[in-house]
Order: sequence, then C-alpha cells, then structure tokens
Amino acid sequence: MSEGHWIVNTVLNGHNLSFNMDTLITMWSVMLVLILVAFISTRKLSIVPNKFQAFCETIMKFLWGLTDMMVKKEGRKHVPLVASLFLFIVSANLMGQLPLRLIHLQHGEIASPTNDLNLTAAMAIIVLVYYVTAGIMKKKGKFFLHGFDFISIILALVEILEMFTRPLTLALRLFGNILAGEILVGTILGMCAYGAPLPAMFFEVLVAFVQALVFTMLTLVYISSATGEEH
Amino acid sequence: MAITELGQMGAGLAIGLASCGVGLGIGIATKGLMESIARQPEISGTASGLFLLGAALAEACAIYAFIIALKLAGFIG
Repeated sequence: MSEGHWIVNTVLNGHNLSFNMDTLITMWSVMLVLILVAFISTRKLSIVPNKFQAFCETIMKFLWGLTDMMVKKEGRKHVPLVASLFLFIVSANLMGQLPLRLIHLQHGEIASPTNDLNLTAAMAIIVLVYYVTAGIMKKKGKFFLHGFDFISIILALVEILEMFTRPLTLALRLFGNILAGEILVGTILGMCAYGAPLPAMFFEVLVAFVQALVFTMLTLVYISSATGEEH
Repeated sequence: MAITELGQMGAGLAIGLASCGVGLGIGIATKGLMESIARQPEISGTASGLFLLGAALAEACAIYAFIIALKLAGFIG
C-alpha cells in the first residue's frame, strides 16, 4: 500500500480522467473468476448434484437463508444484488492473500481491489440507489414523508441525512478493514519475514469473510427498512 | 515542533483513544454473548453470528480512527 496506486492520467473531451490501473486489473480478474465459476457451475445441472454443484447450492442456500431472515416479505427478489455483492467482496478480499505482489508493475502493487476507496464507494452508491429505488417503488411518495405532522418531518430530515452517512460508513468500513489488514501484514513482515505474518494472514482470511458478511447484512437491513411497513 | 510532528502525535492519540472505546464496546458485547449462551446454550449459533456482526460494526469505529491517523501521519491523501 505504501507505494500507492498505479495511476494513469488521460484527457477525454477536455476532462481530466485518472485510472487506478492496479485496482482495475484486479477487479476485472475477480469478475472473470466469478463469471467463469457461475458459467461452469450452471452447466449440466442434475437432480443428484455432483460435489461442485452441491458446493454452489450450499452457498446459494446460505444467501437465501440470510435474505429470508432479514427481509421478511418478497425478500427473494433482492437475492441477485445481495449474492453478487457477497461473492464479489469475498473473492476480492481473499485475492489480497495470494502472493500476487511478485508481479511487478510500474508503480504500486497488485493487492486486493477493495483496498481502493473508489471501488468500495462505487459499491456503496449502488446500494444507496438500489434501496432508495426499492423504497420508492414500494411506497411511492410515502417513502420520504409519511404525513405532515412535526415528527414525520423530523424523521424525513433524519432519513435524508442517513442517505449520506450510510454509503459513507459502508465504503469506509470495508476499505479501512482491508487496508488495515494489509498494513498489519506488511508491518509484521518488516519485523520478521519467516513465519511471523502467518497468524495475521489467517486473521485476514477471517476478516475477509466477516466484512463481506457485514456489507451484505447491512445492505439487507437498508433494503428491509426501506421496503418495510414502518421504520 | 513542526507541523508534521504534531500530526504524527495526533495520529497516535487518535488511534489510541479510539481503541479505548472500541475495546470497551467489544468487551461488553462479549459479556452479553457469554451470559446469553450460559442462560440458553441452544441459541449459541444465532447469537455468535449476531455477535460477529456487532463486533465488526464496533470495530469499524476504530477503523475510521485508523484512516484519520493514516491521513494525519501523511501516508494517504
């Protein structure tokens, strides 16, 4: 991390654009892996599943169970977004534990793509747009304002404030955890390179799953609070 | 004292003070988990999942302080 990102600046139609190339490379690799796994796992489906199909069905069953637990009614239609987010974040976080730093770039290094605030912020904004859209489709105008009494207006103002704080905390939490983990492993690596970083790396594997679960569960909480009957 | 040295002192203070609060918070959450499992051992699975979620939410506060500390010490941005 200390080397920063490999940033490429270009000018398009008079706008200055900068791309974090290492994040782009790792993000597209993760998406490629996910698409390949999804493609392979849906070929030759059978009633009696083989081991790989059983594994994928277990993952989907876990995500359906999570959605059923958090969103009470019509929760299953939110599964595509939630499952994609979970699988993407898990793969992206675990990718940071692979020894990809051996591949040298011009600047920076190949690490997990979620150590870039731009990626996590983009995912948080997707979640914001999704839950606001779901709430408006479910409740129309009542999503913003229940009535015109004093408490409803105060609640509406708090709701608007939450539209800013929720994506902010979602993005910063994931980004900070992954970045802190990488700096922790790097610091221990500097003290003793042989064997000492191993416990920290096992902890990072746990953190990868927990942070993906937290992101997914908070997404579900926001969707259920937006589409539920009362706040 | 130069500005950068003050910034590094602030970074240390930020992460230290944040760790105080987060440590207390996760400790209290663990106490609650222990008590609930001791009272009702059959809910240990559900309770552990919810505990992990709450602990991660509490830990995130320390992570915010960590990002601020990194900024103060001049590592990022």
